[in-house]
Amino acid sequence: MSNSLNGAVKILITLALALGIGAIFILAIGQSPVEAYGALVKGALGTKLGIGNTIAQFTPLLLTSIAFAVAASAGAFNVGVEGEVILGGITAAYIGINWGFLPVPLLYLACFLGAMAVAAAWAYIPAALKAYFNVSEVCVTILMNTVALYIGSYLVSGPMSAGTATPQSDPVLVTIPKIMKPSSANAGVFIAIAAVLVVIFIVYKTKWGYKLRTVGTNPTHADYVGINSKKVFINAMLLSGMLGGMAGCIEVLGVHGYYLDNFAKDLGTNGMLAALIVKSNMLFTPFIAFFLAVLKAGSMAMQQATDVPKSIVDTVSAIFIIIATMEFVVSLGKRRKMEHEAKAVANIGSKKPDDKKTGKEESK
Amino acid sequence: MSEYVVEMKDIVKDFGEVHAVKDGQFTLKKGEIHSLIGENGAGKSTMMKLLYGMYPITAGEIYINGEHMTKLDPKIAINHGIGMVHQEFMLVNELTVLENVILGFEPVKGMTIDFDKARKDIQHYIDRYNMEIQLDKKVSQISVGEAQRVEIIKTLMRGAEIIILDEPTAVLTPQETGKLFEILFNLKAEGKSLVFISHKLNEVMTISDRISVMRQGTYMGTVNKEETSPLDLTKKMIGREVFLNIEKDYSKAGEKILEVKDVWIPSQKESSKIRGMSLYVRAGEIVGIAGIDGNGQSELIEAITGLRRVEKGSVILNGKDITNKTPRRIRETGLAHIPEDRNTRGLNRTMSIEDNLVAVELDKKPFTSGIFMNVSEQDKYADHMVKEFDIRPADYKLPTSSLSGGNAQKVVVAREVSMNKPLLVASQPTRGVDIGAIESIRNTLEKAKKSGAGVLLVSAELEEIISLSDRIIVIHEGKITGEMPAGEANENNLGLLMMGADDQVETDKEGEKCHE
Repeated sequence: MSNSLNGAVKILITLALALGIGAIFILAIGQSPVEAYGALVKGALGTKLGIGNTIAQFTPLLLTSIAFAVAASAGAFNVGVEGEVILGGITAAYIGINWGFLPVPLLYLACFLGAMAVAAAWAYIPAALKAYFNVSEVCVTILMNTVALYIGSYLVSGPMSAGTATPQSDPVLVTIPKIMKPSSANAGVFIAIAAVLVVIFIVYKTKWGYKLRTVGTNPTHADYVGINSKKVFINAMLLSGMLGGMAGCIEVLGVHGYYLDNFAKDLGTNGMLAALIVKSNMLFTPFIAFFLAVLKAGSMAMQQATDVPKSIVDTVSAIFIIIATMEFVVSLGKRRKMEHEAKAVANIGSKKPDDKKTGKEESK
Repeated sequence: MSEYVVEMKDIVKDFGEVHAVKDGQFTLKKGEIHSLIGENGAGKSTMMKLLYGMYPITAGEIYINGEHMTKLDPKIAINHGIGMVHQEFMLVNELTVLENVILGFEPVKGMTIDFDKARKDIQHYIDRYNMEIQLDKKVSQISVGEAQRVEIIKTLMRGAEIIILDEPTAVLTPQETGKLFEILFNLKAEGKSLVFISHKLNEVMTISDRISVMRQGTYMGTVNKEETSPLDLTKKMIGREVFLNIEKDYSKAGEKILEVKDVWIPSQKESSKIRGMSLYVRAGEIVGIAGIDGNGQSELIEAITGLRRVEKGSVILNGKDITNKTPRRIRETGLAHIPEDRNTRGLNRTMSIEDNLVAVELDKKPFTSGIFMNVSEQDKYADHMVKEFDIRPADYKLPTSSLSGGNAQKVVVAREVSMNKPLLVASQPTRGVDIGAIESIRNTLEKAKKSGAGVLLVSAELEEIISLSDRIIVIHEGKITGEMPAGEANENNLGLLMMGADDQVETDKEGEKCHE
């Protein structure tokens, strides 16, 4: 428990630092950081539209960040979430447009299951290549993202095109209701939250999750105790793909109502950022995803209310991840504390070593 | 100036919460061999690393040649004539021996390295101390003993007058050890001062002039060799008497539990590292496999336990063919396995003691019900195991990374032994653990045997092989070079077989572990 508390404190320190450095940049362009951040927060959380925008940003981020984190907890660095979102989206669109013969509830279900299945199949490719041929999943997923992007573009420009000037598909027959008009926040957020809760539960409470974590932390040990590390690795990637596919489905059914080319831009990357900032700790990842959503949603308002360009927000999140992955903030503090203690011990203990503290006495 | 070339007074060294050295005292006279002994974790290596400047001391004083060293790092230490041969060799595998020796101290001629001069300088030491070293071989191609001599030459080349050897014999055969001792005596005769870190008492009694003992970070005293005995030293080291020689009862060997028939096994780098090996283990006996590290022990064990594919041949466990089955299937057929590398294989260090204790049986009742883990049953089990095997600290929710080597190994042993499988494969079960844990682990193995399990034991410690095994198999370069009842074995005949000598051939040649 104190461990996660420690982690939370660490994240907050990192966050403060990132915002601090961001403030320096804002000062450098001659603006007031207080005003800018104020406008940002107000824009993201102060109005109904703002909150709606934040939720709309949060929904896909939550899923993609957890998708990345699940893969990471089995030791996979899945850069391919974005591609999975795209393919999930296009599949949901296809089913949503063409499977009108299904009754509505089943059509919803078909959209989700189809999107998740296709995305999982997509994730299976790098997973199997890694597990059986030791091909770096990082390279493969990066490359496959581009492939996915062009598959989507091709389909909405050609076979699935609505015939409009912008590459997009016909509208789908079922949509997820919006919850905070006029923003694009929709009920998909509840599906996303439920899915994430289930995933977190699986990872931390079931034997399947235990195996996942074992493989993620020590695949050699996993094989030795009889866990098939390759299979578990692939399963984790499949689950990751399913979450990505779900995000794509929610975006298509909930936000747009049709497949819009390039709709998934940066969704995977930002999800990855959210997970990386907290080292794929699944309990913290949702909060970071929310924070990034606030930044995104508030940045436009900030740009309008002040003269601070919204790209400053990208700067802040970039700094955030750099600091978080450097891990120097806390380790610095720890070292200082250790040196302090060492000195104290040396002063009292050099002549008379404190036996109780070591707790290592022989009992017999 | 005092009579000592090195004096370390009231040394304290803490690593965070851990007090590695609490009260360290050490003196070294010119031209002596001074052994520093103690259990693993007693602080002997740490003391010497402090002297070599690898870590700063927390408190205390270090004098080298009478000079009070207020600041010390390896560079300063080297400049003051201190050299250290580490337990893990600090050599670059892909460079030649010659390049390794001069690395960082290259003699130059204009813009280029003066290899001729370097070669001449090194040859000078080789001749003087009668060391066998092939300068143009890559380090990856020479034997461990030779690599160690390279390390010694390295220190000499840097002008060392004081040489620290950290457990130098841990990786050597008895014959190679003898050879090392000759070199050390030569060095001593030349006036070099040597520190010899070890926990092998017979070696210490052979080589030392004086012996210092450490226990749990505290200096326990220094004695002249003539005035002490191994028994006396043991008591000083661990504070009580230990019984490592376990009474053996070899009357009840039963049916063959494990049968390995003409197996061929590849290693990481080469195919057919093991070429046609056959052996068996019967119920109620301990079969020891002796051999220098890297002669196919690991591959054999991995093949038996399903962690490495067999090229051909078959492995039969409990009457069932388990060749190339998954580790899980093999375990279910009746195998428990204490792996040689507890940190990466035996344990998942990021997880708790409890998680590690239940790792193998996690899938089964009562540890899981349905898809969920049954944490309360796991707690109960972990609590019981921690008590039964005296794992300290007893808080089973702690990550295993916080355990000492001995306690970490107890977790592995507890998990594997308590399953009561008909075959127990134990690879280096006591490597890097303290004497107290060695005693308890050996007793556990003996108990497993008495309860009717077959035990296949691999160990680099000949003493362990001899004292535990009923039957000993010696392997060299992937082949069995000899087999004998433990009663007929001694360090000499095993050592020769370990170097590949046949039973009949008398040879005192150095065993080269080179490529074919």
